[in-house]
Amino acid sequence: MRLTVNGETHIHEGNGSVDALLDELGANKAHTALMVNGDVVPSGKWAETQLKENDSVEMLVFVGGG
Amino acid sequence: MKNDLLKIGDQELGSRLFLGTGKFSSTAAMIEAVKASGTELVTVALRRFNRAQAEDDLYGPLSELKTVRLMPNTSGAMNAKEAIRAALLGRELSKSPFVKLEIHPNPHHLLPDPIETYEAAIELVKQDFLVLPYIPADPVLAKRLEDIGCAAVMPLGAAIGTGKGLATAEMIKIIVRDADIPVVVDAGLRAPSEAAAALEMGCSAVLVNSAIAAAEQPAAMGAAFKAGVEAGRAAYLAGLMPTSETAVASSPLTSFLSGSD
Repeated sequence: MRLTVNGETHIHEGNGSVDALLDELGANKAHTALMVNGDVVPSGKWAETQLKENDSVEMLVFVGGG
Repeated sequence: MKNDLLKIGDQELGSRLFLGTGKFSSTAAMIEAVKASGTELVTVALRRFNRAQAEDDLYGPLSELKTVRLMPNTSGAMNAKEAIRAALLGRELSKSPFVKLEIHPNPHHLLPDPIETYEAAIELVKQDFLVLPYIPADPVLAKRLEDIGCAAVMPLGAAIGTGKGLATAEMIKIIVRDADIPVVVDAGLRAPSEAAAALEMGCSAVLVNSAIAAAEQPAAMGAAFKAGVEAGRAAYLAGLMPTSETAVASSPLTSFLSGSD
């Protein structure tokens, strides 16, 4: 499945859930916040949320900032 | 002053120094500065996940500091819509009620966009955030943000990262005089004496990042700002003497050294 992840094309080969995508990308799930097509998806819904072809996913972490 | 807690909304903080976590040379240096400063509230920013830079992820190191709460910022947002989205993401990750609402679309001066900030604040208050907007030192805007339910206002002392101190002092005094919510000076401070001055004029706290991160010894500067904030707050509570246009002697002026011979 073709996705856009953080602005870049990504071919996902798992079962299409948000959880599977995060595993595939090696993200630390406890440290990651996520949006699909501009909507925030809470971590409690990652296992049940199915991605679709051409979805845009943003994965974000905390970094230093003032 | 053990019971002199700072109340922001329903939250209580024992320190009146908030720390930004950007610009430090390393995560270890940042953590040491946070500890030395005694802060209980630190800001963090959101950035796209990058597996190649996993060491930049501050969630782990900061969550080990049990006395420190997180205040995600909305940095990078160019308008209200983006700021609201950033705030929701920040809350999802931090589980913190605090948000530093900052919308400064012009990279040349990084001054806040008051209109977008106001619009975003209305929505974030509705969504039960404790909204702390970073704003120009504008007493009218500050009062309007208070009226719509912001938990505090954070007027700038000078532009972000400039170290020009309390350039807006006269406006901040008016904001403090009129405010019924905490006023936090955010941005521009360089020296602990400026933090002390802000607290002396009745500000409830200061938010400092560059002054500590860019110091030769960040942890030592964090400790110095802690002392500055505590001195300023103590002075405010003690009540500063009134000023006078004419000299008022503090020693007796009665003559006894001359005229006896």
